[in-house]
Amino acid sequence: MNLKMTPKAVIFGGTFILAAIVFAVVYWPWAKRIQTPSDIHRSRTPAENAGRATYIANGCVYCHSQSVRYLDWGLGAERVAQAGDYVEDRPILLGSERTGPDLSQEGGEHPDDWHVAHFINPRFTRPHSIMPPLAFLGDKKISTLIAYVQGLGYKDADRRMERQRFWKEKAIEAYEAGPEANVKWLHGHVPEGWRKIPNPYPTTEAGLRRGRRIYQGFCIGCHGPVGDGMGPAQPHIYPPPLNFTILKGRGISGGILYYQIMNGITGTAMPYFKRELESEKIWDVGNYVAVYFIGETDANAEPRGIDASWEP
Amino acid sequence: MATTTNALPQIHRTARGFCITSAVWFVIGTLVGLTTAIEFIAPDLLGNISWLVLGRIRPVHTNIVIFGFVTAGLLSVSFYMVPSLLRTELYSEKLGMITVLLWNIAVAAAGITLAMGYTQGREYAELIWPLDLVVVLLFGLICFNLFMTVKQRKEPLLYVSVWYVLAAVILSAITYCIGNVIWVPGSGALAGMPDAIILWFYGHNVLGLLLTPLAVAVAYYVIPSASRTPLYSHTLSLVGFWSLLVMYSHIGTHHLLQTPAPTWLKVVSIVGSIGMIIPVMVVLINLWYTAKGKLGQIQADVGAKFVLAGSVIYLFTCIQGPAHSLPVVQRITHFSNWVVAHAHMGVLGFAGFIALGGMYYILPKITGKPIFSKSLAELQYWLVLIGMSGFMIGLTMSGLIQGHGWRSGETVYRLLPQLHHYNIFRGAMGVLIVSSALIFLYNIIRTIFFNPGGQASGVGKES
Ligand code: HEC
Ligand code: HEC
Ligand code: HEM
Repeated sequence: MNLKMTPKAVIFGGTFILAAIVFAVVYWPWAKRIQTPSDIHRSRTPAENAGRATYIANGCVYCHSQSVRYLDWGLGAERVAQAGDYVEDRPILLGSERTGPDLSQEGGEHPDDWHVAHFINPRFTRPHSIMPPLAFLGDKKISTLIAYVQGLGYKDADRRMERQRFWKEKAIEAYEAGPEANVKWLHGHVPEGWRKIPNPYPTTEAGLRRGRRIYQGFCIGCHGPVGDGMGPAQPHIYPPPLNFTILKGRGISGGILYYQIMNGITGTAMPYFKRELESEKIWDVGNYVAVYFIGETDANAEPRGIDASWEP
Repeated sequence: MATTTNALPQIHRTARGFCITSAVWFVIGTLVGLTTAIEFIAPDLLGNISWLVLGRIRPVHTNIVIFGFVTAGLLSVSFYMVPSLLRTELYSEKLGMITVLLWNIAVAAAGITLAMGYTQGREYAELIWPLDLVVVLLFGLICFNLFMTVKQRKEPLLYVSVWYVLAAVILSAITYCIGNVIWVPGSGALAGMPDAIILWFYGHNVLGLLLTPLAVAVAYYVIPSASRTPLYSHTLSLVGFWSLLVMYSHIGTHHLLQTPAPTWLKVVSIVGSIGMIIPVMVVLINLWYTAKGKLGQIQADVGAKFVLAGSVIYLFTCIQGPAHSLPVVQRITHFSNWVVAHAHMGVLGFAGFIALGGMYYILPKITGKPIFSKSLAELQYWLVLIGMSGFMIGLTMSGLIQGHGWRSGETVYRLLPQLHHYNIFRGAMGVLIVSSALIFLYNIIRTIFFNPGGQASGVGKES
């Protein structure tokens, strides 16, 4: 080959190639872009936009994606991202890393008070978290950030937030009516079948050890090291984390503990753990709470079915 | 030029300026990187200091290492290599020095504004609009200086390194404007999916049209020069050059394979990513055939050794790249630390190694003195090689834990404790890399400012 590489060949040849490529892979996709908003899309409120600016300024995008894939399981997996979700996003915040979970559908996942505690210090609600503490933002910025986060998921988020607010009111009412009424309210919403089920498995040393480990990794920031609800998140959460000792003698059962841990209590900061904890872990942590903090357990009581093969 | 005293030659001031620039920002950039690594291990350690919070300093780290360290280092070599290959002098050393000064101001301003939270929030295109303008101006100054140098050349033929440098500076100036959506000063962004497409067109071309061609140019200069052999093949040079421009610049959408980007665009980017094997292998065959039988000479020069190692790491990076452009692989690797490992292998292992090697190689030529300490340079070589490789292996492992865990239903939170030890390992490897940066800075400063010449054992190679 004896193509002569003159300065002109390099400069104009290179620029020409780049121009052709920009036309094909940048301009053309733009010209053909989808401009119709998706079914869940709505415009953001001014507060949400202010929160989005805080999100951008503090680099949340480096740890959180906002782009659910068809192969995902975790937070937001119920709805795969569509181009129409982003039509008003400038810039778009898809993210390239998942050091933290995807936030596309974060709105309404937790009530506002959970977010306050979490943003002040993520370890308060999530002991193993490596997310940076954001107390330096101050109350005002934290509240707009929460407005933004609670709007992620647009109309789906709005529906979830409506539910959070509805139950928050009821939960506060029950809490303020005193422990007796609160426990009655809490248990009143557990389906009857669950309420009657005792923990079918016996208490074992190993089981309690596992339960403690789960408790320390997931629950301690709210319910506290001794289960009195005085973890570091407590000042920010209302109704405050449950003091487990009030459950004693008030009809608590293994089934109630299991159901509440699995499903969470919408409206309160109590999250659901069905994604994070498998069945054995839920029974174990429930029994740990029952044995050590409530001081009363129905483990292995009748009716418990045929004993499982591993039982001693 | 013959220099026997401590005085530095008047020419090559720009090359020296960029060399010091690169060494200084190498230390600062990696220190900031180490800080992020520490925050991954102990998120509360630095308390509530807004400008040190991870989300703020991560772009500080990436911008400083890419523009302050690697690009500046490669430009240092370019500002020596281009005039020398054209048998002329740089058109204007004065303009060059202004460029160096402004470059440092721009990098410092980038670091400060990002730490203060002034960002456009688009990965690799974070800088606010006024700084965007400064960067474009800088590329303009560099283009002008180099074009005028080409114009006054005494050597009629352009060597392949010159093609790559010219293409890199002019095409980067253009992609920078496009990628930063410079006609929208406020947000610097388009709306919706086109913003992601234009962003990754640009983000990808920071590597493909800036770092890669500059690094390849330096390798094309150093390897034949150190092994005292003419380049193996002109034809391969041509194929490598044009195929790089065609292939690399259009595949940015492989960063968006799992998003709602148009399917045809994804297909194009995957095909092009596989096609990257051509520009990469052609360059490497050309370089390695040139070096064939001359490894002794290359080994003997620490600069050339860095460059050769960089070329080997280029191969590894570009085997991995096409592999994780495949959807089946990306199902596991996307969003995970695997990509971070790849990024460090590319930017530090390939482009960074070649920048370091190139600077060591030209140091005696631009100062008229031998390198202050060859043994420190050797030590630095091993520190950064072990640091980068360890970093890469550790993060690849942790990325696989993440990817496979998520794929089988683990939540992000559940996996955090399992990543902890790998994060500690990464921090430890970071310490090696920072140490190597400190050694480099010391060696450069000693060579340039406090070396009367002839004191170290190496023979000062003068051009
Ligand atoms: C170092 C990376 C990192 C950065 C930066 C970061 N996060 Fe997180 N984030 C995490 C991790 C890890 C988790 C999971 C553990 C937890 O819940 O704290 C998380 C969890 C969250 C959650 C809870 C999700 C859920 O429902 O379980 C929200 C909301 C959140 N982050 C918002 C933000 C916002 C807003 C910012 C920016 C101010 C931010 N994050 C910055 C890592 C990060
Ligand atoms: C973010 C704070 C928070 C975390 C973390 C948390 N909880 Fe709760 N928990 C609460 C709050 C708030 C309530 C309800 C208080 C109320 O309504 O009075 C609650 C209620 C409960 C109840 C209901 C008891 C009943 O009788 O109905 C159980 C059981 C419980 N938590 C167990 C756990 C366990 C086990 C974990 C860890 C796996 C955990 N919680 C983690 C805040 C938290
Ligand atoms: C054949 C060549 C290459 C191909 C096909 C390739 C492919 C890719 C792909 C597909 C990704 C995205 C992965 C994901 O998000 O899942 C990626 C990321 C990246 N690559 Fe490469 N790569 C190549 C070479 C290089 C080189 C030479 C460098 C450095 C000079 C480099 C630096 C990076 C960086 C920094 C990222 C991270 C981007 C981010 O922040 O998400 N790559 N590469």
